[in-house]
Amino acid sequence: MAFNLTRRKFLQTASLAAAAVPLSKVVSAETGVAKASLEPKGTMDDTTVVGGLCEMCFWRCQLVGKVRDGQLMKLEGNPKSIDNGVSLCARGNAGVKLLYDVDRLKYPLKNVGKRGEPVWKRISWKEALDECGSKLKAVVDQHGPQGICVFPHGASAKYPMHYFERTVGTHNVSEASFFQCRGIRDAAYVNTTGKAPGEFVDMANTKVIFLVGSHLGENIHVSHIKAYIKGLQNGAKLVVADPRYSAAAAKSDIWVQIKPGTDTAYLLAIMNYLVKNNKYDKDFVAKHTSGFDKFSEAISEWTLDKAAKECDIPAAQIKEVAELLAANAPNVAIHPGRFSSWYGNDFQRERSLACLTALLGAYYVKGGWAEPKNPKLGKTSWAAQEHGDKHNLNVSNGKKVHPYSPPGTPTELIRDCAISGKPYAIKGCVIWGQNPMQTVPNQEKMKQVFKAMDFIMCVDVMPTDATMWADILLPESSYLERHDEIKVGTGRIKADDKLPTQFIAPRMPMVKAMFERKDQVYITNEIAKRMGHEKDIPAQTLEDLVDKTLEAANITLASVKAEGGIHLQPGQSPYGVPDDFMVQLFNEEIAAAGFPGAPTYKSVEGVPAGYARLLFGRAPVHTFNRTQNNVWLNHEMPDNPVWLNDEVAAKLGVKEGDIVGFINSEGVKSRTTTSVKVTPGIRKDAVYMYHGFGSANPLLTEGVGKGVDDQSLITKIAIDPETGCSGMRNNFVKLTKDGKTLDIPA
Amino acid sequence: MQYGMIIDLERCVGCHACTIACKAEWEVPVEFGRNWVKRLGPSKVGKELASTYYPGLCNHCAKPPCVDACPADPVEMTFKDAKTGKTTTKSVAATWKDPLNGTVQIDKSRCLGCGACAEACPYGARYVNPALIDDISSDGKADKCTYCMPRVEAGLTPACVQTCITNARIFGDLDDANSDVAKYVAKGAKGLEPKGDTIGPNSRYYGKKKDITLLFQDSTPELADLSSVKRRAMMASMVKPAMRQARDLGLLGLAGALLVKGLTEEKDDK
Repeated sequence: MAFNLTRRKFLQTASLAAAAVPLSKVVSAETGVAKASLEPKGTMDDTTVVGGLCEMCFWRCQLVGKVRDGQLMKLEGNPKSIDNGVSLCARGNAGVKLLYDVDRLKYPLKNVGKRGEPVWKRISWKEALDECGSKLKAVVDQHGPQGICVFPHGASAKYPMHYFERTVGTHNVSEASFFQCRGIRDAAYVNTTGKAPGEFVDMANTKVIFLVGSHLGENIHVSHIKAYIKGLQNGAKLVVADPRYSAAAAKSDIWVQIKPGTDTAYLLAIMNYLVKNNKYDKDFVAKHTSGFDKFSEAISEWTLDKAAKECDIPAAQIKEVAELLAANAPNVAIHPGRFSSWYGNDFQRERSLACLTALLGAYYVKGGWAEPKNPKLGKTSWAAQEHGDKHNLNVSNGKKVHPYSPPGTPTELIRDCAISGKPYAIKGCVIWGQNPMQTVPNQEKMKQVFKAMDFIMCVDVMPTDATMWADILLPESSYLERHDEIKVGTGRIKADDKLPTQFIAPRMPMVKAMFERKDQVYITNEIAKRMGHEKDIPAQTLEDLVDKTLEAANITLASVKAEGGIHLQPGQSPYGVPDDFMVQLFNEEIAAAGFPGAPTYKSVEGVPAGYARLLFGRAPVHTFNRTQNNVWLNHEMPDNPVWLNDEVAAKLGVKEGDIVGFINSEGVKSRTTTSVKVTPGIRKDAVYMYHGFGSANPLLTEGVGKGVDDQSLITKIAIDPETGCSGMRNNFVKLTKDGKTLDIPA
Repeated sequence: MQYGMIIDLERCVGCHACTIACKAEWEVPVEFGRNWVKRLGPSKVGKELASTYYPGLCNHCAKPPCVDACPADPVEMTFKDAKTGKTTTKSVAATWKDPLNGTVQIDKSRCLGCGACAEACPYGARYVNPALIDDISSDGKADKCTYCMPRVEAGLTPACVQTCITNARIFGDLDDANSDVAKYVAKGAKGLEPKGDTIGPNSRYYGKKKDITLLFQDSTPELADLSSVKRRAMMASMVKPAMRQARDLGLLGLAGALLVKGLTEEKDDK
């Protein structure tokens, strides 16, 4: 190895204090000169700051910070946590690099260039807030409150969302977590069981874990994964339906390699088999369900053979699954899923899961669906006001367009209205923590919406593909620099505790916000003052808001901090079916609204010749696109190789590691390329990639252009009719390589 | 005593928490890692499909090739057992296998930065951190997993073990038959021996048969080209003696280092 000591390097070394990147600083007793130590100190002796609540994803693990000389060195699970314990996932651990990401937004910015091709100018907060306030007020004055649309996401977006929805009075709010993610699930369960299901399946104590297209193990929610692995270690059988040999499939006892889009047929066949063979829980059905006769009649066509043909799986395997569930009922965990915006027929699939749980009597039992009894908190926010349905796009001629829509207005209704100007004008847009360019399908349509606006303001922590469209871009303090969101839940202090313990964990800052970053209460209140709503402000500061919310539990931020950042109190058993709990197997109201009253399968568009269905999902080290610029996480997983069936790859002459691009069936090409992962673990008619790569914003110096943006290829939108949510897996692609387009062989 | 780590692939979900916690704990540069996670498969294993993970780290081997490769002049080092107070003295280069706890460690202040140890390791578990320089080496210092000895000595678990979300990483004394790690070994946990040799890796893997088969199929390493390692080590020992001498003089301190550096640089600039 060459011994390269240049003059400059020598001088640097000689000055000692300037030696390379300083690690842990030490002062030599002999020389009194600060010198970079060769040995990192480790974080054992750093100051522990309690009260952290993670938001690298939205599971909100409780954490502590290790702080040295005012700098956050490391994050760890809070030892007092009965949820995630001392564990954090990769993303949680990498929060440090979000905090100190050099690309983070630092100052209020104004776009002095064209919209979508920004030229940023740093401005003062006063100027930024004046501009936001006056421009949004002008929209309201001219077009009414419905002239504002809001795209919120994350803990910090709740307060401003309530402001615009409740106080300003617009219905036009589209949360990605509802309309492009789990809203369908929640809506389906609410209209079947009366309850949003969360992921309250008691996997740790179950005998069978039943997953349909789950990301478990690829989407890491720490306490949930802990329960999943605990269940498997305790001997639970795992049944996974997925076109792909997913992380969960790799741990499964039965892998059902189902044809994409046919899950409901599979579920109906299982239920029909249970009913026909008297293998359902008659007692539960009698006491806690309605509409059994109509339901069993409606699903009776779904024989094992019929479903086997539709789903492209063996009939014997469906029977095996049904028998396994019946043999272990009621201690079976029928997972409601999380991300459920799949094919535009998803409300029916989620209804099926809820009904299957009922047939197995698996509600409020050990190992089944069992909602924890969580502590109660206050709901301090902007006061709810009635704004009528006159400007509610989801109501047409007095009738709901999508009657089972999650809260807010379905995204496509807002976008269509904004673009067409009908039935009214939408001219102001508030984007808060969401990246609608990469959450909402059809990017060109999103651009048209942005182009139709008089004013767009964006609040975020990082630049994103959406912040490029802002007129005013505001830097927010991150989850590590502010108070906020309160996580409540239950857990067990000791594994063998008879009853669970409740916990309340309000977010507390690990370090002070740097540069000119501000929190959501400050920003929202300042805008509210400028829009004439000063008297409606529910809390003057974020701490004030949190303390008011905690009042109901007779605790304060200060008291929780003194308790180590988490308040614990005795809990109650989640088991025991409430007398009034009812599952509507056949839902008369849904039938009256013109939709199937019993869970019903609707087939989806088939794969056109020469194409493969584009499937996408979660990566364990990334939260969509939000973490792509994080240097640690980017190093672990910089891009998203496309899974291609090995036989298909052989026919195409494509090898592992080849670089490919994509063109979809509507002629849209991917902006970037990615590598190929050749595997027998995916069906021939589908390809798969991780979601959230290929950012287009050059301000993301680490993440820009790495991997392929799956969202850019999702241009066809399938709307789930009952809920108005987006189905995103009905898009079809061909590979492109070396300038040639490759037809996918049948 | 021989510290060892078990990685239970039945529990592992491939989340990379171990990798990132280590980076934070030990200020590891972004481009390096003291440990890593690779997703394997889905591939055919016999007639079955399998997919698992290769969470790797230093194996603190029984016969570590990295230790033999170090060209630094040996010094006498006294090791003290924290529990019994018993001491052992051993002649070691800048990297050695601890005779008491079995871990492989580095004295960065004596490391020449030549990278021979990194090249010798069949697992790629070592790297030369270019940010760590001193009067001995301006090329950086060899670095690797220490099994978090500073944390373990402070009564904590290794950072990767602490953060592991499914308790898939288990740390302890393999020589203690009652330890969890020894029980895993008794159940069949095994290390990834390189092709054609047995060097006794002490980070070991346990899992479903097909997953272990896939791991060993995909991740069994080749032995390093030892002649290349030797060349590298020899170069380092020839080029840097003046530096080491200056270091040994000790009291000369800063001035001495400057003197030697000045000489070296002159030579280098030609």
